Amino acid sequence: MTDSGPAVVVAGLTRSFGRQKVLDRVNLRVRTGEIYGLLGPNAAGKTTLIRALVGLVEPDAGTVTVLGKRMPNVEILDQVGYMTQQAALYPDLSVEENVGFFARIYGAQDNVGDALDFVDLRSRRRDAVGSLSGGMRTRVSLACAVVHGPRLLLLDEPTVGVDPQLRVQLWAGFRKMSAAGVTIIVSSHIMDEAERCDRLGMIRAGRLLAEGTSTELKERGGADRLEDAFLRLSAQADH
Amino acid sequence: MRAGPVIAVALRLLQQFRRDRRTLGLVFGAPIVILTLLGALMRGSTTATPHVATVNEDTATLGQTVAGYLEQQGGFSKQSSRASAESAMRAGKLDGYVVFPRTFTASATISHKFNEELRIEGGSQATRGYLQQQLAAAELRAFIGAQPKPPQVPVDAPKVTYLHGGAGLDGLDYLGAAFIGVVVFFLVFIVTSVVFLRERTQGTLERLMASPIRRGELVLGYMLALGLLTFLQSVVVLAFSLAVIHVHNEGSVLLVLVFTGLMGLGAANLGIFVSVFSRSEFQAVQFVPIVVAPQLFLAGLIFPVDSEPLVLRIISNVLPLTYGIRGLRDVMIRGSGLGSGEVIRDLLVLLLFAGLAVAAAAASLRRRVA
Repeated sequence: MTDSGPAVVVAGLTRSFGRQKVLDRVNLRVRTGEIYGLLGPNAAGKTTLIRALVGLVEPDAGTVTVLGKRMPNVEILDQVGYMTQQAALYPDLSVEENVGFFARIYGAQDNVGDALDFVDLRSRRRDAVGSLSGGMRTRVSLACAVVHGPRLLLLDEPTVGVDPQLRVQLWAGFRKMSAAGVTIIVSSHIMDEAERCDRLGMIRAGRLLAEGTSTELKERGGADRLEDAFLRLSAQADH
Repeated sequence: MRAGPVIAVALRLLQQFRRDRRTLGLVFGAPIVILTLLGALMRGSTTATPHVATVNEDTATLGQTVAGYLEQQGGFSKQSSRASAESAMRAGKLDGYVVFPRTFTASATISHKFNEELRIEGGSQATRGYLQQQLAAAELRAFIGAQPKPPQVPVDAPKVTYLHGGAGLDGLDYLGAAFIGVVVFFLVFIVTSVVFLRERTQGTLERLMASPIRRGELVLGYMLALGLLTFLQSVVVLAFSLAVIHVHNEGSVLLVLVFTGLMGLGAANLGIFVSVFSRSEFQAVQFVPIVVAPQLFLAGLIFPVDSEPLVLRIISNVLPLTYGIRGLRDVMIRGSGLGSGEVIRDLLVLLLFAGLAVAAAAASLRRRVA
């Protein structure tokens, strides 16, 4: 893990949809080359926070700075990879055509083969995405997010529906990318996955409850398991 | 504006169209089927002669002569009495009959009135017209023939000349010219609104908006692919219209393609814009009657714009299709070219509409979709 200044700085980020406050004064710093996990239940605000990082959600208050640029900034998106929660793909196109399309958008056509290898789908490259299982579609979606070699990779629940063996393999890939200086932000509600992150941010009802390594968070919550720590820290925040 | 992303979007759309046989069928097959039907209906239909009869109660000469003349005409038969004619009509064998009463000759010669009675079945509008037309001719012929010195009635034989087209021009030529533009406009509109809606609902638009692609590049990519599709569709529809069903064309084929191209461009961007207001393909299809129906009736396809009531004429004059249809007719029927002020005006209005639609489409792609 390298430590050459923050890749992402979120300061006082607040956003409401109607009357519901989805993000409430969120402050966050993610270091370059770090794997940062956003941990929280469904509807905690994880996806909205990630969308704010790519400029798809405009803050009501606060600022978002990504790779040194204040968002929204279209130019910097060249260096950001975003994997949406829903495998956003063209079902009538093949695996290779989908990855090839996103590669062309970024001018990275030469990387298609490597991206397919990363998700272990080279042998299925000619199959129509619509005919693939949910887990395979997730892998294609991931290939589309990494094909241009981003400096910051945002993964919204990336391993949902992926079998354990491939999950281990993907995490080995994330580690390798992180070692090469890529910053990765992963949202998840799977505790086992959270343990693999360098640092975690626990988020609930739009608020960042606590931040730290998994060991630190377990200590702070006075629990042996991350799940229990999360519940205790949530209860403390409510009082 | 960078070429890479624009070409990427266009190529991807063309790949999708190539796989989607149903859409290709709609774009290329549907207009040919509709044009073939139109051609067969407008050029191949024959007028069915109604089944009618005469009942002559007049014992004098005039009734017998007129009835005799009529019985030689197509569709006519002779019935001996009102009762038999009535029962034949009720049995569905007759569409109508004419009765010459006993006083027929006397009424014609003394009161100068032909007092025949018509009885019509009522299920078809054509019977009355046919009966009256045949009656008038037979009565005139019989009446003149009854005169001591029958005059020579001149036959109507006008010399007709046309500034454009000729005697051979029919309803299909008039409708066909406009139809080529209408079919391009609506099919491109439907295809784009659904294709772009899919981009929104399957989440790929969000992904693209989180990439460095600019809104203009995305819209241009769409325009490039749909422009090519529109061009190919126009060529196929035009070739079929001219070569197979022989729609009249006096003007430049290239100019016709410019018109259809501009109409397709406007329709494509209107489709992108309208897709903002839909959450499902079903909702997108609901826009079809809203966009299609008023233009179908008000743009001059069927009813001439000039004969519409004032309020409707005002609406017609803001519909893009009005200018497309008028322009296509000017080019194809009148042979007008770029030297015509009206053609230039129609092209400029279509260009303005396409420009507005592009702006609306680009504005609908706000990067912040939430």
